[in-house]
Amino acid sequence: MTGLACRFGRHDHLIGVLSTPESHDDTALRPGVILLNAGLVHRIGPFRMTVELARLLAGRGYAAIRFDLSTIGDSGGTADAGSREDQVLADVQDAMAVLQQHAGCSHFVLMGLCSGAQNAHHVASIDPRVVGAVFMDGYAYRTRGFYLRHYLPRLLHPGRVARAAWRRLRRIGRRDDVDLPGFAVEWPSRQQVISELTGMAQQGRKLCFIFSGGALGYFNHPRQFGECFGSLAADPNVQVRTFPEADHTFILAGDRARLREAIADWMQQSF
Amino acid sequence: MSGELLKEIPGYFGPQGSLFGLMAEPAYPPSTAVLLCPPLGQDLIRSHRLYRQLAHMLVRRGLAVMRFDYYGSGDSFGDADQTTLARCVEDTLNAAGELRQRTRCRRLLAFGARLGGSIALQAHARQPFDALMLCDPILDGPAHRAQLEALHAEMLADTRRFVRPRTAAEGAGQWLGFPHGEQLEDELAVMLLSVPPAALLLDSADTFPRAGNIVALDEPLGWDDLDRLEVAIQSHELIARVQRHMETLQ
Repeated sequence: MTGLACRFGRHDHLIGVLSTPESHDDTALRPGVILLNAGLVHRIGPFRMTVELARLLAGRGYAAIRFDLSTIGDSGGTADAGSREDQVLADVQDAMAVLQQHAGCSHFVLMGLCSGAQNAHHVASIDPRVVGAVFMDGYAYRTRGFYLRHYLPRLLHPGRVARAAWRRLRRIGRRDDVDLPGFAVEWPSRQQVISELTGMAQQGRKLCFIFSGGALGYFNHPRQFGECFGSLAADPNVQVRTFPEADHTFILAGDRARLREAIADWMQQSF
Repeated sequence: MSGELLKEIPGYFGPQGSLFGLMAEPAYPPSTAVLLCPPLGQDLIRSHRLYRQLAHMLVRRGLAVMRFDYYGSGDSFGDADQTTLARCVEDTLNAAGELRQRTRCRRLLAFGARLGGSIALQAHARQPFDALMLCDPILDGPAHRAQLEALHAEMLADTRRFVRPRTAAEGAGQWLGFPHGEQLEDELAVMLLSVPPAALLLDSADTFPRAGNIVALDEPLGWDDLDRLEVAIQSHELIARVQRHMETLQ
């Protein structure tokens, strides 16, 4: 694996690190991987998960770039007109150009956690060079099944209800109840997401959905994918994996190792 | 203020090109350069934005600045469990040499927060910087190690983070998200440092007696607040204090 730190982009405003396999023999034939920021964490990712993932993928023969989107981490802003979504699309296309220039890649797989998954979804729904995506704790919608699985066990165990109520009471006034700086992004409608995902799958894009225990507030069983997205669940281009023990940012090294292996295996099966 | 006014150049340097650095220089050749020594572990991620803001402020004041990552941390090569304090000190000296060579500056200053401060202090003992600025440096290694162990155990049991508490075995060999090697444990177990009187010491936790160059920050930075483990450290006050200190040095 080799590493190249680069400054790039249409305004030379983006900072990233490209990891490439030692042998370039068939790297150009494989898709290049683009790893997106998770929230405001810079390009190394929460607990350095993006560094670990990029290096594993490079070791398996895939060129991978992890970089900071405009105004995040070390990347600068631009005076470009347009929405944040337009900016994200242009930034990712700049990263594609780097992968093309240095590794010869002409098609790409996007990977992202949380807001990174939302950005991956947006770009994958527009750019035809995207052949696959890994969405970690990305879009999903609560269903009747979700509510049943969430509330029924609690109703059947009054002790649990009492303990949950007690925990909630204890948390009142604690510092974690203080609003921290942050912005909530409104999710698109389920119908829009279904339509976009269906389009991606019909165009042959391979899609991997990963849900951690941190997503249990809106996704609590693999079956929910079908409840939520219908026939997409049976599409051979779609795979769903859950890591219910792990937290949202995979703080434990063992959880991260299992996540990395799952993604690398999916890459090898898919491309 | 961002990349339009200031161009930071990323690159790898050091042994086998294994260390990541980000260099920024003002428009005119500077006479002074500042090396920003990062902390380790989650402190590094939490303070990334703060270090960037500090770098931009210093460049705007006409100084050359280099940020870098130690082996096994950030964008540098190596795994987290390969990071040792001895290697971090070597990496700091390497980075200082790189910064001197690239900028030809007469004076070289260093800044470090938390373990970045401890590492800067140890590098300073080997090859003195012209001035040292520290923020909440870890001086008592055994106490810091005990604190990391305690926070890590508390994190494992946190059912707001996990669906069920995780076992000690599942969290073994790690502190708050980052695997560590035995050597780092051993190094912390014997690390006891003191701050030279000339160094600027910014104290956000009311740890040090007020004297000389010890300056209290009004707002605690909350390094050891588990509830803010994934929240960025921000402090305009810290940047202003460093800026004011720089004026006394020029």
